[in-house]
Amino acid sequence: MTNTTNEINPSDSKNSPNALHELLFQLADDDFILAYRGSEWLGLAPFIEEDVAFSSISQDTMGHATMFYQLLEGVVAINANDLAHSRPLTERRNAILLEKVNGPGHYLVEPRYDWAFTVVRNYFYVTAKKVKMDALKKGSYKPLAEAAVKVNLELYYHILHWKTWFTQLLKAGGEARTRMIAAIEKVAEDMDGVFNLGLCEKEMVESGFIESEHSLKQQWLRLMNPILDELKVTLPPFAMKSGNGRAGEHTKDLEDALSTLKEVYELDPSAIW
Amino acid sequence: MGSEGFYQEFEVFSKRSDTAPMQYQFSLLAPNEEMALVMAQENFMRREPVADIWVVKRSNIRKMTREEKESLYRLDNKDYRNTKGYGYLKKKWRHYEQGMLDEKEIMSWGGKRNHDQHD
Amino acid sequence: MNEKVSSQQITDDGQYQRFIERIQAGEKIEADDWMPEEYRKTLIKLISMHGISEIMGALPEKEWVPKAPTLRRKLGIMAKVQDEMGHGQLLLRVAEDLMKPYGKNRENIMEDLFSGDLKFHNVFHMEAPTWGDAGLIGWLVDGAAIISQTNMLDASYGPYARALKRICAEEVFHAQHGESIIMALAEGTPEQRAMIQDSINRWWDALLMFFGPSDASTTGTSKQDITIKYGIRTKTNEELRQDFFTKYIPRMLSLGLKLPDDTMYFDTDQQKWIYQQPDWSQFKEIIKNNGPKSKDRLRLRKISYETNEWVRDALSKEIS
Repeated sequence: MTNTTNEINPSDSKNSPNALHELLFQLADDDFILAYRGSEWLGLAPFIEEDVAFSSISQDTMGHATMFYQLLEGVVAINANDLAHSRPLTERRNAILLEKVNGPGHYLVEPRYDWAFTVVRNYFYVTAKKVKMDALKKGSYKPLAEAAVKVNLELYYHILHWKTWFTQLLKAGGEARTRMIAAIEKVAEDMDGVFNLGLCEKEMVESGFIESEHSLKQQWLRLMNPILDELKVTLPPFAMKSGNGRAGEHTKDLEDALSTLKEVYELDPSAIW
Repeated sequence: MGSEGFYQEFEVFSKRSDTAPMQYQFSLLAPNEEMALVMAQENFMRREPVADIWVVKRSNIRKMTREEKESLYRLDNKDYRNTKGYGYLKKKWRHYEQGMLDEKEIMSWGGKRNHDQHD
Repeated sequence: MNEKVSSQQITDDGQYQRFIERIQAGEKIEADDWMPEEYRKTLIKLISMHGISEIMGALPEKEWVPKAPTLRRKLGIMAKVQDEMGHGQLLLRVAEDLMKPYGKNRENIMEDLFSGDLKFHNVFHMEAPTWGDAGLIGWLVDGAAIISQTNMLDASYGPYARALKRICAEEVFHAQHGESIIMALAEGTPEQRAMIQDSINRWWDALLMFFGPSDASTTGTSKQDITIKYGIRTKTNEELRQDFFTKYIPRMLSLGLKLPDDTMYFDTDQQKWIYQQPDWSQFKEIIKNNGPKSKDRLRLRKISYETNEWVRDALSKEIS
């Protein structure tokens, strides 16, 4: 129970090994890069209490990424740290929405980070993550279904947290609402990339690992529409304007992030840190 | 409550488990009680189990003044309220060859049934 | 706003006498209790500096949060820096309650930081250019912080003592987090070992200065006498520094690290460490925000404060 990685039976996934790898990389890379973006906010949030709360969410999310990388350890025989730190840009499978910078500037130099974008991106993403975990819990790959049950437990708080910010800032009206509406538009432009399951979608669904993109998106809309209606927000159409991360397409934002997050690792990848 | 600004004071209480009593944790600043509730757990209980959380706006708490706290003093002459004042019963019961129903004994009765293995 | 503590209270000898008696009897003073102006001001200065130092102290380590070399290190240092922010939260709440009679709140604390009226601790003005520094801060800077904070666990001011109790409990994790990074480097490649030695050399003077000057003759000011008089702390700066040496020098040596001061030794007759004094004039410059990273870190804090102003403005109003 506690150590599912050791119990992976490769035959579980023999029908579609690529589809399983792809799915696990998507899940791991999504959480990893968003947790990284969250870690850049540390110390810079709108007030101190929020800095502390937000950091717990980033830690949980990085913890989920670690669980997914550990599932891959058993499947691709590369350790989780190397998977997280050494894979080149084109092998990354995260949605482009999640790699985008938090705002203008660098986390150490003039970071003019956009709280509205952060709230909307996180709220939309975590709701999609919840829908995915619910699907994975019923999925055919047992180790992943078990991981999804665990991950799901921590999402209640994440959703409560981001929903509170989302609702309050939209209800506040004025400048806050204008910024939030702009952020919703920006997130929508690439939100389809979050639901996208990449080139192996058909196999994933046929193998019973997860439900289709279309189904995931419909469930997301069912959850979100009542909330958006109450806040009188019209959702712009979703797109993948910046490209499809599931196909290894990425932006300079991810390139910069990778060089930062592996800076120390790369000094000596074989050393123990 | 908005006119008081962004930094409003909330007191945070929590309990570790369903059976534990509510316990005071600390205070935090937040713009309203929903936000205060969302901040409470991660600010004060990151490393311990939590079964419930209350946040209370500080201005809603009626506190004692220094002078009022003087009303808390009482003389130590109230053993008739405590078991201490009835300790002599132990000896009496021994005379009747009965045990004393002291606190330890009574609290051990609990809600359990005497004969669990009835069948 | 700005309601003054009435001057009649300050001159009330009866109150003052009772206050001193309470402290001497080991009673704790609470936020709403009467206290002499000098006590309140000393506490505000001490605790707001302590609190803002935690907030500013998150910044040098925060540089290493996204860069930490493994998933576990990324998680560990995130949790550690989060705690620093959390300690800042606890301490600023204590300071804010003390400032209330002056009509001041957290906004004023931030403004005082930006204007330079509120100082932050000398160590957090220093550069942290390598991963070794992330380890060293966790190990030795936190080690020094533990020594100075545990010294005030029994402080006469109850809210401060309670905040410190929470903080020190978490500092145990911090100390082990730092040791874990250092241990991996010390047992690692020659480059990794060189990384720690390099960090120690870089941080040595800052660590010596950590506890402040041994007396007012060094820098012209020292608050240590007042804090001891009011039962806020017990040991002097120099006693704390000696405690730090006694706890940490043997550990540094056991890992094969060299002390940057080769004249340093333990004098068994005097039962104390003899060491070369750092340049205390540099200390005065550093805490005046003229340290190597003072301006950059203040700038970071200020940008985040300004950039998020719209958020605080938006939620200052009642929303339904």
